[in-house]
Amino acid sequence: MKKLVSIISVILLSLSFYHASAQSDDLVNVCALGIGNATYLKDFKVKLPASVANAPSTKFNVILNKGTLYKFTVCNAEGYEGKAVIKLTEGPNVLGTNLKPDGSFQDAVGFQCNKTGMYILTCGFKGGKEGAAVVIMSYMNK
Amino acid sequence: MNRKITTLLSILIAGSSLLMIDCSGNGSKKADDMSIPDSIFENKPLLISKEAMNDIIDNISSPVEMAALIKSAGAPFNQKYLAQTNRVDNLNTNFKQALNLGVYGCDLGYLNMYEKTGSIMVSMTAIKKLADELRIGQFFDFNTIKRLATNNENLDSLMYISVASFNNMDEFLRESNRSNISALLVTGMWIEGMYLACQVVKENPERTVIERIGDSKMVLNSLILILRNYKSDPAFANLVKEIEKIKKEYEAVSVRYEAGEPEAKEVDGMLIIIQNDKQIVDISDETLANITVAIENARNMIINL
Repeated sequence: MKKLVSIISVILLSLSFYHASAQSDDLVNVCALGIGNATYLKDFKVKLPASVANAPSTKFNVILNKGTLYKFTVCNAEGYEGKAVIKLTEGPNVLGTNLKPDGSFQDAVGFQCNKTGMYILTCGFKGGKEGAAVVIMSYMNK
Repeated sequence: MNRKITTLLSILIAGSSLLMIDCSGNGSKKADDMSIPDSIFENKPLLISKEAMNDIIDNISSPVEMAALIKSAGAPFNQKYLAQTNRVDNLNTNFKQALNLGVYGCDLGYLNMYEKTGSIMVSMTAIKKLADELRIGQFFDFNTIKRLATNNENLDSLMYISVASFNNMDEFLRESNRSNISALLVTGMWIEGMYLACQVVKENPERTVIERIGDSKMVLNSLILILRNYKSDPAFANLVKEIEKIKKEYEAVSVRYEAGEPEAKEVDGMLIIIQNDKQIVDISDETLANITVAIENARNMIINL
């Protein structure tokens, strides 16, 4: 009996993992086709639990090239309260964010890179709320 | 509009079925007898952590960016730059297959950029064959790509599916402890991207492309770092030797920076941050010529394996 419960638990866990993975892949597809006059380069998937005390975030290292106008498009998954806040930094300097000073969000942020190098893209959820989101990195067509 | 919705639906359905294939055991193809067993690599300690390695591989620039730069520099399309696809049947080890898959993947980006849909199908056939041999063919939605290419339909989607397929293959390889194959894939892509840039510059010395060749020094150093992990394998050792020759030529390249204050402006409702730092790449004609020869040698080694 115990063995049966374990097997069922594993199956249910696998199914929920598959479901979550399929959902995030669908969100990537939808988000990537809505980037406008830009060409897809890569995507970043973020899913974080709620945490009031210390809002968690995920960091991605990205190499950006001189002379390219990059676009970071944010798409939030349905069914979560959290809205994604992205930040692009170079060393200690914050270069840009999708969070406006009035607390509202930009769907996308552009970055005209004039220095090839390693940058950090940080993604968390406003107020430490639980959230899931996809960030599409693309370059703007000239 | 209907066409876009149909394409979107095709992608969603294809994506879901790919995931199901993935969950059901990576297809039915038997492993190649001439494969490099992954255990060769797994039993040896890595010189850098797996996380650091994944990070580096993840950050080797997309070949699409190089192709976009070449096109925006005004260089015309040139079929003779591309690698021949008629020798895929001779590629009988995972080592050869992964490197050449990277080369063809980069060429696919170049073809996509210039919307050469006829040649895309020839390239795709070779890519599919190599990806199947490496047991990552399930990440290529060949039928959707074929439909988009043959009907000249929604070329943005074609580019997206092509790039995303390579990203997914690469991610899967690393998740399934086949980082050695992933490293070869990105190496092939990088070498081919650099080869295309060097060929373009030979005929049209466009400054932006020359600068990109020069500032690829950083990526080259990272590439060598990951390949050295597998140097105990003779095939990897030979590859590292060839790429270290490129690195030697890069020693004469210097990159300087001048700091500036970033500014923000809004264009069509989107916030754009403009970085006002300056990057100056010092690369002489002689150094560029030497790098070109070293890149050509490495590329020729790969496509003649």
